Amino acid sequence: MKVLKILIKRNKFWIALAVFTALISNLSQMFFAYFIGELVNKIETRDTITFSFLAVPVILILSNAFTQFFNQFIGRLSAEKMAHTLRVGYAKILLMRSSKENCSVAAAMSVAQNELAQANSYLGNTFFDITGMAFMGIIATVFLLFQNVLLTVILIVPTLLILIYVVYSSRKLSGIVTAAQEEKAHMNKTAYAMIHAFPSVKIFGGEELCKETYNKRLQGWKKHFVKLGRLSSLYNTLSGILSRVPLLILFLAGSFMVIRGDILIGTLIVFLILQKSLTMAIMNLPNWFANFKVFTTNLSRIDIE
Amino acid sequence: MIELKNLSFTYENKEVFKNLSLKVKKGEKVGIIGESGCGKSTLLRLMAGLYEPSSGEMIIDGENIPEKIIRKVSVIMQSPMLLPMSIRENITMGHEVSEDKLKKILEDANIKKWIDSLPEGIETYLGDRADELSGGQAQRIAIARAMCKDTEILLLDEPTSALDGENAASVLEALDRFSIGKTVIHVTHRKEHLNGYDRIFNMKDGCLFLQ
Repeated sequence: MKVLKILIKRNKFWIALAVFTALISNLSQMFFAYFIGELVNKIETRDTITFSFLAVPVILILSNAFTQFFNQFIGRLSAEKMAHTLRVGYAKILLMRSSKENCSVAAAMSVAQNELAQANSYLGNTFFDITGMAFMGIIATVFLLFQNVLLTVILIVPTLLILIYVVYSSRKLSGIVTAAQEEKAHMNKTAYAMIHAFPSVKIFGGEELCKETYNKRLQGWKKHFVKLGRLSSLYNTLSGILSRVPLLILFLAGSFMVIRGDILIGTLIVFLILQKSLTMAIMNLPNWFANFKVFTTNLSRIDIE
Repeated sequence: MIELKNLSFTYENKEVFKNLSLKVKKGEKVGIIGESGCGKSTLLRLMAGLYEPSSGEMIIDGENIPEKIIRKVSVIMQSPMLLPMSIRENITMGHEVSEDKLKKILEDANIKKWIDSLPEGIETYLGDRADELSGGQAQRIAIARAMCKDTEILLLDEPTSALDGENAASVLEALDRFSIGKTVIHVTHRKEHLNGYDRIFNMKDGCLFLQ
């Protein structure tokens, strides 16, 4: 976290600008959805639609396009600025580190090479995309709560249940991945040991034992790998089907509320347009936390000046 | 009995030794000393049937084909070459060995007490723990492995060179017990480890000189 704080502190202008453009971009999307709802309400109530009213969504579309562009541009630029601060900051302490730890500069560079590459990749490809999506999720939730509290709750509850399922399935899959990796590591170790200890294996007639052990490991790896493929396709298919459940519930409950006259059809349309921003943000939470944890772990292994 | 007749061996176009002859009687203990790289370990591996001579004849316990010779000898090398398997598998190499015999072997190799102190005993997996073993413990497992094979001929290739004084003494003690009545060829650069040997040769320029 210390390095992340330094990165944010040294690039606060660019980060603030990226956050601001993300905010504006998301707000323009919200208001566009809102005006679509209003337009439908006016059509339904046969209200007069003026040219100036129609000009608002046009302005919103244009402003959304511009802010989207600036958001992407500023986001990438800020990510590159932060990655640059990280690389230069680390390069500055290389000499100091190599003399302190009695190793060459190349060795000191290679110590953190993976961490630097991964942290750079996260900053460039993920950091501001996640920030944008998280913003969108938060703004959409607040915006929808203002539109209708009950319908927002109806949307959030099944999404949270799916989130529990996503966490459970990813934990289950990660357990199998670990087991498969361990089995593969054992298999490689056995193969390596057989080559390394070949004279002993030959002298003491251990060829059969090595062959049996290797085959056992191979079968174990194959078993875990097949299980992983089977379960991941099952979980992913189920998760694909389940991700439509909040939309279905929203549509059914919203339609019922429209028929009962509790809400206007325009409000339901606003919910239908924005529901994905909210559900995606909630369902991606575990992934974001996991990626952010990997990012901060990488940063914790890098010192910068 | 071991008999090498005009044995020559060339490795990567380099002649390691030429026309080398040696006769070792049954039960005799022979030591070979020499500087590093003089070919003494190569000679031992040749006698173990791991290499085939370029020319000459080699008769080990009545066999002259490497594939058959390999069954007649036990070798303890400088590196114990443990496998990522259990201690039991490392000792028996998958062959049937009775529990009583195994118990005796562990006692003779000076490792029973240590193995009994492990939570999983002889079934302890050495895959991830091989690095945690001391050189002495690993080498005593290698000795137990040789005891399990129990051949008339025992070939020792600097079995204590990687060990400190105390561990080396313990390994040598186990080896002394094990080699009683056996034909032993011991290759080392430390002459003091060959006390009580019947003959000691010095290997130089691919030839053996009696000391």
